[in-house]
Amino acid sequence: MIADIESLRGVTLETLYDTPEGRLIKSCIQCGTCAGSCPHGEYMEYPPRRIIKMMQLGLLDKVFDSDSMLKCVNCYACMSKCPREIHLTEVLLQLIKEQTIMRLPVVPQELQKALENSYRYGNPMGESGRKRINWMQNLDVPVRILSQNSQPVDVLWFVESYPSYHPRGQDTARAIAKIFNRLNVDFAILGNEEKSAGECGMLSWESGLAESLVDYNMAIFTKYKFNQLVTSDPHALDAFLYRYKMFGFKAKVTHVIPFLWQYFDKLKPMLINKLHYSVTYHDSCCLGRHNGYYEEPREILKAIPGIKITEMVHNRSNSICCGGGGGGMWLDTYFKSQNIERLSDNRIKEAIETGADVLAVACPYEMPRFEDALKVAGYDGKMVVKDITELILESMED
Amino acid sequence: MEKKNGQIRIGFYICHCGSNIASMVDVAKVSEYAASLPNVVVSKDYKYMCSDPGQEMIINDIKENNLTRVVVAACSPFLHENTFRNATFQGGLNQFYFQMVNTREHNAWVHLEAMATTEKALDLVRAAIYRVAEHKPLERKKVPIHPDVLVLGGGIAGIHSALTLANAGKKVYLVEREPTIGGHMAMFDKTFPTLDCAACILTPKMSAVKNHPNIVLWTYAEIVGLDGFVGSYKAKIKHKPRYIIEELCVGCNDCIEACVYKEARFLDEFNQGLSKRKPVYMPFPQATPQIVLIDPETCIHFKSAKCSQTCVTSCERNAVDLQQQPRFEEIEVGTVIVATGFKPVDARKVPYYGYGNFPGVYTALEVERLINASGPTQGEVVLRDGSHPKTIGIVHCVGSRDKHTNQWCSRVCCLYSVKLAHLLKEHTGADIYNFYIDMRTPGKMMEEFYNRIAEEGMKFIRGRVADIYPDRDDPQRKRLIVKAEDTLIQEIIKIPVDMVVLSTGLEPREDAQEVRRMLNITCSTEGFYIERHPKLAPVNTFTDGIFLAGCCQGPKDIPDTVAQAGAAAAEVLALIDKGYIEIEPNTAYINEEECSGCKSCVPLCPYTAISYIEEKKKAFINEALCKGCGTCVAACPSGSIIQNLFEDEEIFSEIEGILNFRNIQREMSYA
Repeated sequence: MIADIESLRGVTLETLYDTPEGRLIKSCIQCGTCAGSCPHGEYMEYPPRRIIKMMQLGLLDKVFDSDSMLKCVNCYACMSKCPREIHLTEVLLQLIKEQTIMRLPVVPQELQKALENSYRYGNPMGESGRKRINWMQNLDVPVRILSQNSQPVDVLWFVESYPSYHPRGQDTARAIAKIFNRLNVDFAILGNEEKSAGECGMLSWESGLAESLVDYNMAIFTKYKFNQLVTSDPHALDAFLYRYKMFGFKAKVTHVIPFLWQYFDKLKPMLINKLHYSVTYHDSCCLGRHNGYYEEPREILKAIPGIKITEMVHNRSNSICCGGGGGGMWLDTYFKSQNIERLSDNRIKEAIETGADVLAVACPYEMPRFEDALKVAGYDGKMVVKDITELILESMED
Repeated sequence: MEKKNGQIRIGFYICHCGSNIASMVDVAKVSEYAASLPNVVVSKDYKYMCSDPGQEMIINDIKENNLTRVVVAACSPFLHENTFRNATFQGGLNQFYFQMVNTREHNAWVHLEAMATTEKALDLVRAAIYRVAEHKPLERKKVPIHPDVLVLGGGIAGIHSALTLANAGKKVYLVEREPTIGGHMAMFDKTFPTLDCAACILTPKMSAVKNHPNIVLWTYAEIVGLDGFVGSYKAKIKHKPRYIIEELCVGCNDCIEACVYKEARFLDEFNQGLSKRKPVYMPFPQATPQIVLIDPETCIHFKSAKCSQTCVTSCERNAVDLQQQPRFEEIEVGTVIVATGFKPVDARKVPYYGYGNFPGVYTALEVERLINASGPTQGEVVLRDGSHPKTIGIVHCVGSRDKHTNQWCSRVCCLYSVKLAHLLKEHTGADIYNFYIDMRTPGKMMEEFYNRIAEEGMKFIRGRVADIYPDRDDPQRKRLIVKAEDTLIQEIIKIPVDMVVLSTGLEPREDAQEVRRMLNITCSTEGFYIERHPKLAPVNTFTDGIFLAGCCQGPKDIPDTVAQAGAAAAEVLALIDKGYIEIEPNTAYINEEECSGCKSCVPLCPYTAISYIEEKKKAFINEALCKGCGTCVAACPSGSIIQNLFEDEEIFSEIEGILNFRNIQREMSYA
């Protein structure tokens, strides 16, 4: 279901129809599956189906003038169910989004700030680039920073912004560092040289911002020798897999969870502590729907002694987005002003219904979103959100 | 290419095919060019060469100009080679003094540039003109046809074909894989658009099959091999053990009564698992033949050999035979009708519709059984939890029109969904929603039927269902939400329903590819068997003597299936009653003087047409079996196998013709 991204560089809405993607769009049967699958579909004046029809009739200007595409959280739900396999999220919606954002009279402040911060500081929080390795304070295992020791390395771990700066993300980063050490992975990080991969810039289609981050990171990558890139953020994985390719990025890249899956035989005997948790796993959109990693995280969880997995009603390809993608991370206030229920608040209800006491995640956006949603639901304390790597570490450590 | 001193006199014709060819190929230019080639005496272009005047032109030209060879550039030889061979023959020549150039499918239809297509036409025409000079006269051989017919599949298609043939006095072997004939139709409740009950119209035909003196009915049997060729096929049939001696069983059901299982405990296949059966069972009350069978998967005797075998002792006729083994039988037939049917799409392939996960979700076939008076609930629509539905959502296009499952429209689902809406309303009085992408109700009385059901007050929602999940507002979480965009009112709607019916599409049977290979017929990538021509030979296959009927060829409703089954029977009758088959003469033969007896050709022949004659120490090709594929010709190390119509001189001349492009004066100018 992946579009041929490399061939799409420079494609605009005007030239889209001449590409293989455009021919797919012409094959739309207006069935509305996209709109029905969209977690924000009911709040969109122009869901994907109507956008395609307007495009056919040359009426896209009306679409640009509505804020419908601001509500797209890039969750790939429409794309994964489209019976014509139109690459909505990957191609069409992003192009529409770009125009929408350009014409917005006022860009919602939170989003504006996050994009500006990404541009100026290389992270959406607006933190100093020098604090990017602060998560390593009090860490009792070594982590090599390439600027200090530029010897070739097997794994270049691209930590990304949330695991670098967000307090709960930092917990995940430390867990990963410890697991890598236990598994004797030859790894290193970019340290303060790293800047956000820019996925959110791309998917909210601030392409100028995205490209500046791509250029920056690509230049850094050429400084060092590494065999593969492993990232702790599925959104960064998407950026490297589908967007950096347009700019000539060729390295092998994966996410921490599928990476650990490769080490499963070595990892499993290390999981010794019995964790008496009932766990439900939330499929991240980028890791699951977009890249097909449904079973790897579950198999790893199952390998942890004592853990019992229960599934939410919507799972795997039918999982419901936490609402953080496509700039949604910074649109909560905007959605609230429109009386739109936060997707994380909706999703957490399903998690709670499973009766599980741990909500396992694999994407750093989900941690703060679901922890917040648990508070809103008045359920914090009864259920906790943990990254899979945190659970692995818990089962490993003495 | 040498001029042959007037011995070879070629007539060349290029067809415009209306504008099919002429719009892309400069036919006047090609005709002019052909006239300049060696041995060409007549060169013409004409609007429709296949028309009567076109053929007349060839016949007259042969006579008036003493032509000895004919070349026609037109469509595919598949369509009109025979037409022009006949014209050649009627002009007084051997029909194989003809060569065809395909300048439509291989040229005009597949290229975009008129300049290039014309040049390609010149090359193809030159090759044919060089080649035809080397043609030799050949004769078609006649072989007798075996009058018996094999029909594969005992659904409505196979039943109708078999009865038609049997009524015409032909002996038919009807081979059915399941323990009973009847197929899917036997499972249906009522049929659209007339709402007559499927059993009422089908069971008389089933018993007619059973009782017909000309029909040999083999159920629980499968074809496992087919050899030979049109008129003379040998089919190998496997009789699967039903652990009952068929000749002795009278269907009294005493053994079922006597089974050590007092209660039925295993899912009943015929009722789609909605009811239970014992290990020894009758598939359904009207099963034909009325012979029970034992399922070794669930029978205690087969699982542990520790059964008191009450079935054996209860049978007064000693019909139970727990030692029964598969039995193989070989039969000779002249023709085969393939009526192997379809498989409903597994609804689990669309995971977000929740089949197998939410008990309130049913497949259409399950609902057919549920509303059937002889079904598991005697026609009472009771859900798995024992309740009666008050709101029902019918989801169209499940596994159809979707690249993730099957891309085709399954053709019958809209109508059967409308029918089920009516029947469910009749049985339950429920509120019924039909979620559709497009309503497709073509066919006689079908739109009228749709109209009639719509008037009953069904709700039609134009939008493909995107999600089905338990309703959070229902404390028991039994009610389901069906979510879709109603594209007509442009709103996302979430309808709470008690029951979901998934209108699953039709797809090829899982072993369609294996059967295709066994029968040496073709199927499309999706797995439906391909007819020889969609309009002109809709029940023929590319293999002579093998015909298609019913859904194995593509999804279709009962009226179309029966029509096709009748057509297949008619095609078979046409062959049988002619009494003989003419075989193409493009077969291979051995030049015995050259053959070294190395035997390398023998195992290569895909049709087992080559044998080795010990006394002569030479290979021998059975002309009747040879299909003219050329494998042996290419493989023979001493070059001693020759294939008619593909002799070395013919091929080399053709190649010489293709390569001799320098002779074209490339001065063509196209505006």
